[in-house]
Amino acid sequence: MKLIKKQIPLAIVFFFGVLTLASYYVPHKVSVDFMEMMNKWENIVSAFAFFLGLISLFYSHYHKISRKADGWGYSLFVYIGFFAMVVPAILCHGKLMGAAGQTALGWSFSFMYNPLSATMFAVLAFYIVSTAYRSFRIKSLQAFVLFMAAFLLILGKVPLGQIIWDSVLGWTGAGVDQVIEWIMGVPAVAGKRGIMIGIAIGAIVTSFKIIFGIERQYMGKD
Amino acid sequence: MSETWMIAGAWIAAGLTVFLFSFLYKDNPFFKIAEHLYLGAGMGWWFQVYVYNILGPKVWTPLVNHDWMVLIPAILGLSLVTQFVPKISWVSRYGFTFLMGYGSGLAIPAGLSTDFISQIGGTIRPLSMMASMTPWAIFNSLLVAFGVICVLFYFFFSVEHKGHFKKVSNIGVYFLMIYFGAAFGNTVMARFSLLYGRFDDLYTFSASKYLYATQIILAGMIIYFAIHGLMNRGKKQAEAVN
Repeated sequence: MKLIKKQIPLAIVFFFGVLTLASYYVPHKVSVDFMEMMNKWENIVSAFAFFLGLISLFYSHYHKISRKADGWGYSLFVYIGFFAMVVPAILCHGKLMGAAGQTALGWSFSFMYNPLSATMFAVLAFYIVSTAYRSFRIKSLQAFVLFMAAFLLILGKVPLGQIIWDSVLGWTGAGVDQVIEWIMGVPAVAGKRGIMIGIAIGAIVTSFKIIFGIERQYMGKD
Repeated sequence: MSETWMIAGAWIAAGLTVFLFSFLYKDNPFFKIAEHLYLGAGMGWWFQVYVYNILGPKVWTPLVNHDWMVLIPAILGLSLVTQFVPKISWVSRYGFTFLMGYGSGLAIPAGLSTDFISQIGGTIRPLSMMASMTPWAIFNSLLVAFGVICVLFYFFFSVEHKGHFKKVSNIGVYFLMIYFGAAFGNTVMARFSLLYGRFDDLYTFSASKYLYATQIILAGMIIYFAIHGLMNRGKKQAEAVN
């Protein structure tokens, strides 16, 4: 049983990990075809992983409705939202545009999913600003540098900020857009590169640990 | 799309936008309805994307054409669903291990080439072209190289941060702060551009062409909050008397 439950899954990780890694560095038609096939396979398995999440979500809300838990009525809207997208998709075979213009799915996307999605993220603008107001207390030089970088970025991207900059610091000869370009292209790049190099080292080491079966938390218990 | 559908769409879009914005005042049933609709609609959208872009062309069509190889990923994918049956949930490991193996195998060359080697290359390359660079460009290149080294010192934990090591890593923190500040500023502006978009849509839907959808929905929300507030105040007063 240990063979089926543990050793074969670990062998699968090793097999696909090493083959994918090797294929990347082997410039041959066989390896290119293998990578294409693996990419297709990954898409298919990922689709089923999505269904796993979908079933879990539906089960959780069904449970809430059947137990008549607090706010169970709202759970009905999860199903309404789901079918509002899926039924039009079935009717027009997943196409947003048809010969006569926008399809039913296109309509659902434009007037339901898109406004919901955009507004949900737009609301975050208010929370980001209120969080910044509370957390950007300039207590140290480092905090001041963080604040100035953010402030200049925001200031320089609105016309009012550009007018203020020109009237107060116009004598320097440097426009706020040039200052932003320099921040983004020089000191911010240095910080970003340091982080990216660190992330890359971490990702590579973790990947090797997964391939060689040292890291196996994703397999769960038992 | 007929005009009736356009008007109906405008009312739904304006209504959902106002419902979600109403959370800025306080938590309320309209926000919760829109929030749950978003969850469902999001899942519905991705469901149809997976069905029509992956399962249809990459599983169903090959199977119809007797390409049985796709059964392997399909079975690996189906194994994931055994997560719901505790007794055989270990079967799902087969699907997960495939994803982890392929993902890890891909992450190593991708991380090496894009995040590791190209970042080091981007830092060093300008230093080899100094003869053809302006003094300002040379200063910038040196500053980037110096900043990257300082940041890497900050992330190097094998040696205790003290003495000169601490000074260098402290300078690295300033470069990190500039990057975080710049990233924050960009995020704020991206969110605000979405906000302008929503306001623009609300303005569009306030036209007579759309039967004043925005104004009527906004007025309805204000009336709801006013009545709800008055009723709550009445309840609180009755409780205080009792």
